[in-house]
Amino acid sequence: MTLPLIKSVDLFLNNKPSVFALRETAKKALQKTGFPTLKTETWKYTNITPILQSNFDINTEESSCGHDCCCHEREATSDFPFIEIRFCRGKLHVEEYNTPKGLSVTPLPLALYEDDYKRYLFNSFDLEKHPFAALNGIYLEQGICITVEKNTKITSPVLIKYNQNHCENLQTHLHNLIVMEKGSQLDLIEEIVSDDGFSHLTNIVNELYLKADARLNHYKIQKESSCAHHLSLNAVKTQTNSSYMQFYFSNGAKISRQETFINLEQQGAKAEIYSAYKVKKDCLSDITTNINHLIKETFSNQYAKAVLQEKSAATFQGKIHIAPYAVKTAGTQLHKALYLNNDAQLNCKPELEIYADDVKCSHGASCGEIDKEQLFYLNSRGINQEKAKQMLINAHLEEIFSFIPNEKIKNYFLSKNIFS
Amino acid sequence: MSEKLLEIKDLHASVGDKEIIKGLNLTINKGEVHAIMGPNGAGKSSLSYVLSGKDGYNVTSGSITFKGKDLLSLSTEERAQAGLFLSMQLPTEIPGVVASSFLKQSLNSIRKAHNEPELDTINFVKLMRAEAEKLNFPQEMLKRFVNVGFSGGEKKRFETLQIALLKPDFCILDEIDSGVDVDAIKTISEGINNLKNNKNAFLIITHHEQLLTQIVPDYVHILANGKIIKTGDKTLASKIEKSGYTEFPQEK
Repeated sequence: MTLPLIKSVDLFLNNKPSVFALRETAKKALQKTGFPTLKTETWKYTNITPILQSNFDINTEESSCGHDCCCHEREATSDFPFIEIRFCRGKLHVEEYNTPKGLSVTPLPLALYEDDYKRYLFNSFDLEKHPFAALNGIYLEQGICITVEKNTKITSPVLIKYNQNHCENLQTHLHNLIVMEKGSQLDLIEEIVSDDGFSHLTNIVNELYLKADARLNHYKIQKESSCAHHLSLNAVKTQTNSSYMQFYFSNGAKISRQETFINLEQQGAKAEIYSAYKVKKDCLSDITTNINHLIKETFSNQYAKAVLQEKSAATFQGKIHIAPYAVKTAGTQLHKALYLNNDAQLNCKPELEIYADDVKCSHGASCGEIDKEQLFYLNSRGINQEKAKQMLINAHLEEIFSFIPNEKIKNYFLSKNIFS
Repeated sequence: MSEKLLEIKDLHASVGDKEIIKGLNLTINKGEVHAIMGPNGAGKSSLSYVLSGKDGYNVTSGSITFKGKDLLSLSTEERAQAGLFLSMQLPTEIPGVVASSFLKQSLNSIRKAHNEPELDTINFVKLMRAEAEKLNFPQEMLKRFVNVGFSGGEKKRFETLQIALLKPDFCILDEIDSGVDVDAIKTISEGINNLKNNKNAFLIITHHEQLLTQIVPDYVHILANGKIIKTGDKTLASKIEKSGYTEFPQEK
């Protein structure tokens, strides 16, 4: 069976049996399932035909980019030192990382070469249930592996920046592994950027493992071209009393889908997902979550806010699954949308599968226009209509920032004007 | 010779089909403080919304002249830029808009309308901090969202802080004393008294004489059934406090 987007390319370590086998596993999975269609339940609101028809190429250049590339600009300041990892056009900038004690950063090719991390690859999700993650696996090569040692708190955030500029007509697949050992703590920021006009496919799979008492705050900023396509998966496994917090800020793309799959595997594990996204033009944005409460006393909370402009469309599919005997669990979900145009479309699909008694679950969705009283208040203070509306749109989204536990990171995001 | 700031002539206004202002006349000169009292539903807050140009409050006849210009031809934001300020009875909560950035945007919008250079963040913050300190307004609250989680007193003090920063020529204070404890009324009144000068004017809407012992009005008007039925000096307020509105005849 020939499938679109699968190209014959010479990947690093294809002659190494263990690596070849991984890619073959992914390929077999995708060949078995094929790409989703509108008849596939979890994809019924997101038509990916344009992506399948695009015939995107793979970037086969050896090195990443020239020295005049914009990805040489660093975000870190003396006031706020980041540990920066940069990808340009899907290739890692190989450089020395000035990592603190207890943090290790290994390029994926090196990890594959040394057979490190093997037990973590494709272990946090089912390849047959995530066709684009399987596609990602076929091209398994580029990515980064991060480990935080036991009981280590990393104070400087790790920033992974993906510069997708000049990726015209390319498909980029990145696979990252994050391993949080027992009692470790980390702030991880991902930032994906491309200027308007570039058409490409970005596919990032993160496999995140949180051992007991680990805390990971995972931030993702997606700010790509309105011609770009973005399909990503965060697959998370959490152990006893660990805490995973995800913040997703998206300014849209032609088609973008952020999928999060979380297994709360041990007692006391907690997951929170906060999303804020703005969709414009004829763009489509899809947030799909699947949280599995597999054992008693696990907690999850999801809060998403959307702004729909022009002829845009948004989809929020949130599944909370509570396994039998997973009692005293709590799972909540809320989605609030602001409509700026009658032509915009929103699909909200909460799915609660509850197989246990004595659980607390809720879901809610609301949508509305700009609040007239708030608009009047701003106007009556001399702020003109257009500016006031802009402030209220940003306010709708920026409420999500107030949940960011780290003040410095919050200010960093606010200063970036993500939604402008 | 006193100079006219606001002149309302035979104003009629309605909300939907309901007439709420029924032939109101009022002239306010620079340097004056006017108080409007009246029973519930008399049209006091409606008058303040008509003056600030809120959607849904339609003027059917009459005129309002502000600083020699036709106020009714201006939009809400243009009225604010021209120097009109309405301190609302229930200031609106705006989750997501940080108080300090709201103040900066507001001040700079008004400066821009007057062709004055906008203030940069550093200079703005200096100014804001100085004014907040005078009003005993906690700096920490300026980092919070506009009016969200503010107590009644804090909301009204935040309105007062806006007056201090924006320096409007004409302020309507719609029940700035409601939902506020005695100490906060004192702070707010002191703040307003310090902002009073011979170039600006205040219109105070209240139910209670107490506020008027602290911000002393030059004139007290009684508004009933959409028009002013009596005008007097500050002693009129104490009469109302004692015997209510019943002794003042109301046309139907």
